[in-house]
Amino acid sequence: MRTSNGVPDEIADAAARLSGPFSVYVHIPFCLRKCPYCSFYSMPVEEHDRDRYLALAEREIRRFGELLPRDNCAVSTVYVGGGTPTLLSPGEWDVLFGLLKGFLSFFPSAEITAEANPESFSEGHTEVWKKWGVARVSLGVQSFSDADLHWLDRPHDADRARWALKKAVAAGFSVSADLMFGLRGQNLRGWKSSVSEAIGLGVHHISLYQLSIDEGCRWSMNPPEDLPDGYPMYRWSQWYLPQKGFDQYEIASFAKPGHHCRHNLSYWTNAPVLAIGAGAWGYLGNIRYRNGGTIKEYGEAVEKYGCGAVATESLEPEKAFREAAVLLLRTKWGISFRDYSAQYGEEALRSVILTLRNEAPQDCIDFRGDSLALTRKGMRVANSIWSLII
Amino acid sequence: MDQQHIRNFCIIAHIDHGKSTLADRLLETTSTVGLRDMKEQLLDSLDLERERGITIKLVPVKMNYTAKNGEEYVLNLIDTPGHVDFGYEVSRSLAACEGALLVVDATQGVEAQTLANAYMAVDQGLEIIPVINKIDLPSSRPDYVIREIEDVVGLDCDNVILASAKEGKGIGEILERVVEKVPPPSGDREAPLQAMIFDSVYDNYKGVICYIRVINGKIRPGQNIRFTATGGVFPVEEVGVFRPGFEPCDELAAGEVGYLVSNIKTVAEAHTGDTITDNARPAPPLPGYRKVKPVVFCGFYPVERDEYPQLREALEKLVLNDSAITFEPETSVALGFGFRCGFLGLLHMDVAKERLRREFGVELVATAPNVVYEISTKDNRVIEAHRPSDFPEIGEIDEVREPVIKISIFVPSDYVGKVMKLCQDKRGNYVSMDYLAPDRVRLVYELPLAEFIVDFHDKLKSLTRGYASLDYEFMGLKAADLVRVDVLVSGEAADAFSFICHRDAAFYRGQSAVRKLKELIPNQMFEVPIQASIGKKVIVRQNVKALRKDVLAKCYGGDISRKRKLLEKQKEGKKRMKQIGRVSIPQEAFLAFLQVEEDEDK
Repeated sequence: MRTSNGVPDEIADAAARLSGPFSVYVHIPFCLRKCPYCSFYSMPVEEHDRDRYLALAEREIRRFGELLPRDNCAVSTVYVGGGTPTLLSPGEWDVLFGLLKGFLSFFPSAEITAEANPESFSEGHTEVWKKWGVARVSLGVQSFSDADLHWLDRPHDADRARWALKKAVAAGFSVSADLMFGLRGQNLRGWKSSVSEAIGLGVHHISLYQLSIDEGCRWSMNPPEDLPDGYPMYRWSQWYLPQKGFDQYEIASFAKPGHHCRHNLSYWTNAPVLAIGAGAWGYLGNIRYRNGGTIKEYGEAVEKYGCGAVATESLEPEKAFREAAVLLLRTKWGISFRDYSAQYGEEALRSVILTLRNEAPQDCIDFRGDSLALTRKGMRVANSIWSLII
Repeated sequence: MDQQHIRNFCIIAHIDHGKSTLADRLLETTSTVGLRDMKEQLLDSLDLERERGITIKLVPVKMNYTAKNGEEYVLNLIDTPGHVDFGYEVSRSLAACEGALLVVDATQGVEAQTLANAYMAVDQGLEIIPVINKIDLPSSRPDYVIREIEDVVGLDCDNVILASAKEGKGIGEILERVVEKVPPPSGDREAPLQAMIFDSVYDNYKGVICYIRVINGKIRPGQNIRFTATGGVFPVEEVGVFRPGFEPCDELAAGEVGYLVSNIKTVAEAHTGDTITDNARPAPPLPGYRKVKPVVFCGFYPVERDEYPQLREALEKLVLNDSAITFEPETSVALGFGFRCGFLGLLHMDVAKERLRREFGVELVATAPNVVYEISTKDNRVIEAHRPSDFPEIGEIDEVREPVIKISIFVPSDYVGKVMKLCQDKRGNYVSMDYLAPDRVRLVYELPLAEFIVDFHDKLKSLTRGYASLDYEFMGLKAADLVRVDVLVSGEAADAFSFICHRDAAFYRGQSAVRKLKELIPNQMFEVPIQASIGKKVIVRQNVKALRKDVLAKCYGGDISRKRKLLEKQKEGKKRMKQIGRVSIPQEAFLAFLQVEEDEDK
C-alpha cells in the first residue's frame, strides 16, 4: 500500500476518467459491540457520531458527484454494509439515500443492497428502503441455534433472526442470509438445521462462511480450540442447496434463479467500485484504494481533500493478472479466455492455464474450451489452487 | 625420579562403578590437590562428562606418595576411556602402564567391558589389582563379586581390596598395594628416545599437547623429535608433568609420564599410539600402533542453512581436538549443505554433536547413523557405499558386504531368552553362551554393525532393565543379502528417504517408513501414494488423503488485498517446502524423518 499526499489527487483523477457503470460501497462502521471473531473496524454508536459521520459521507459523496463524468457514467450497484448499518435509524437511511441519489446518477436497473442485523432491523427500515428502491436485504443471521449465537457473542437470538427474516421476505425484498459454519459444538446436523430453516423462511440467497479467526480480532490472541472440521459442512451445502433450487454461483454464495448479487460480482471481475465511508475499499481505474480506517482518520482525510482515501495499491502487471485470475475463479463463470486475454494479454492467460494444468488436480478444474472454472471439488480446496497461481 | 620409585597405573572400571570418585580420593590422600581446589570428578575434563556422570577420558595425573616404608614414590595415574567405542585408545593407555586397578562395583559385579579391558591388560602383561568398590551400599555383596572376579576374570582375589571411594575406605590400602605390586618401569635412559603418545589435546595457547610415556631415553626442550607414523619433525618447546594442571619440567626420562608441546598445528599430526624418537638418533617404532578408522557415519547439517560456514569452522576446531573424527562436505535434497562425519562409535558421535553445540554454539541436525558397505558389481568393480544413493541398480550388484562385530553381552540369566531374541531379530549369529555364575550369563553373537548402531543398546537396556552390559570388537566385512529400499512419493523416488536393509526386513522397515511419512506429509489437493520399493518392485503402499480443509472467509468491505496477502503467504510457505514431483513436503518432515531419535537415558 502506498500512502502519500498525492493519494486524494490520484483517486480524484481516476474518478474523473471513469466511464460506464460502477458500483458503490458504503461502509457504516457502527456496532453495538464487537463480535469476537471480527477484526474489522467498528465503534460503539452515539447519535452525535452518526450525525457527524453522515456529514462526512455527504462531503465525500458530493465530491465524487462533482468529479464523476456526467455522461455515460452511472451507478449500477450499491451495497450499504458494515459494521451494523441498521444502527442507522430509518431517518438516517433516508438521509443517506437522499445523498446518494442526489449527487450520483443511477442506472434505472441499479441493484441496491442493504445489510441488516436482526437485533437492530425494524419495520421502519423496510419502509425507507422500499422508498429508495432497495431490492436486496442481506441479514447477518449466522445461525439459527441459540447456542451458536451465544458462543459467537452475537447481540441477537434465533427468534429475533427468524422474525427479521420473515419481515424482510414479507416486505418483498430479495433476501439473503449470512450463515457461518465451523463453529464450536456445531455438527453437520446443527448446520443443516440452520440452512434448512433459512430456506423454509423463504430466503432467496445464502452466503456461507467458515469461521475464521483473523489477526486483530478479540479471539486472535487466544483462539478457540476444538473447532469442528468445516469441510464436511461445506461439502454438504454444495450437495443440499442445489436440490433446493439454490445455484452456487460463487464460492460462498448460493442463489435462487435471478437472485444473485451483482454487487459482489463487481469485486470478482475487477469492475470499478467507489468507496464511501471509513474503512471502505474502492477500485477505480486499476487502482485499489482504502479510505481512512477509523472515523478520525477518515474524517481528517475528508475534511482536507473531500474524499476519504488514504492509501492506494496499484499492482504491477505480473501481480495484477494473477490476482484477477484468483478473483475470477471464485465464480462459476470462471475465466473467460477472450475477456481475460483482452485485458491481461495472451501470455498471462497461458501462464495461468499452464499452472492449473500442471499443478492442480484434474478434477478440480473445469476446462471448457473457451473458459475455465473451478469444479465443486475445486471450490472446496480453492485456497490451495489459488495459492498456485497467486 | 629414579625408575625404581615410579609406578604407572590405570583404572579399569565400568561406567558408574566409581572410577572418577576413586581418582578424586587418591588425589586428596596424596595431597596432589589441595582440599580447597577439590571439586567433584576433578579429572573429568569436559563439562559434558561431569554432567552425564560418564567419563570419556580422565586427565592423567602425577601424585607424590610417601609409602609406609618411608620412601617417596611418584604415582602416575593414566586413564582408560570408559567406553566401548574407544577400544584402541584403551590399548594405548594400557601400554603406557605397568599396572591396573580393576574396580568392580560391589552391587553390580563384572561387566562386559570391564572384562574385555581386564583381558587386554592381562594380555599386555600388566599387574592387576582387584578393588571392590561401593562396599558401603546396603545392597553390596562383596563375596559374590569376589567369586565372580575369580571365576570370570580368572584373577586371584585373596588380597582383594574392599573399598568405598565415597567414604574414603580402602584408599590407603590401594596406594600401598600399587607401590608394592606394580612393577617399576624398565627402560634404558641412555638408549635412543622412544616415547609413546597415549593421547593428545588441542590447547588454544600451546597448540597440540601430546600426552606421552617415555619408554627409553630422555626428552627435553630444544631436542628435534620425529613422529614415526606421520614422519613429522618438530623441535620440543616444553615438557612437563600433570599436577593435574600442566607443570613444565626440565626433562622426561624413561619410565616417566608427562606431556610435550612442540610446534604442532593439529592433533591429526600426533596420532595416539605413535612413537616419538630423536630425529638425530632415530629408534625403531614401538609395537601396537594402528591408525584408527571411523566406523559409524552420519550427516551433520546446520539447522539454519546459512550457518554452514560456522559448522565447518566448528568441525575443523573439533577435529583439532579429536583426530578420530572425519568429515567431508555433502549435500542433501532435504537439508542442504552439510557434512558427512565419521566416528568411532555411537557415543563418540553423540559427544561430538553435543560438543559442537556447547563449545561452538552450533545448532545442528544429525541424520541417523549408518555404516559403510562394500559392494562388488557384476562387472567386477568394488564400490564403497556411504549412503543409499551410492548403491548401483539392483541388477548390477553381485555382492554386498557389511561390517560385522562380535558382541559379548553379560546378562542375568533371567533375561537370556529376551536378549537372544533381540540378537536374532538384529540378524545376529549365535557364537557361544556360558554361565559366569549360576545367575549370570555371557552371550556372544556376531552382529551386523548396522543393526547394532540403530537402537541395539537402548533395546538391550530396556529389555534387561539396565542389567546387561556389552562389549564388542570388529570382525571385518561379511556378505549379506542387503537391498536398497526406495521410498516413492507420488511415484517419484525421494532420495532422502531411501535406506539400506536386509531383504527380510525390507517389508517391515518399508512399512514403518511409509507410515511415518504418511503422518509427516501434509494433505495435498490430491491423494498422494507413498510407496516403498526394491528396484522396480513396490512392496508397501499407503495414501496420504487429499486435502479436506479450507477457509471461506468473508472479504470485509471489499478488502481484497488482505485475501491476496494471505494467499501470497500461503504460497511463500509452500516455496519453503521441498517439491517432490507435485507434492510439497515441509522441511520439518524431512527433519523428523532423518533426525536421530533423541533419547533421554543415553
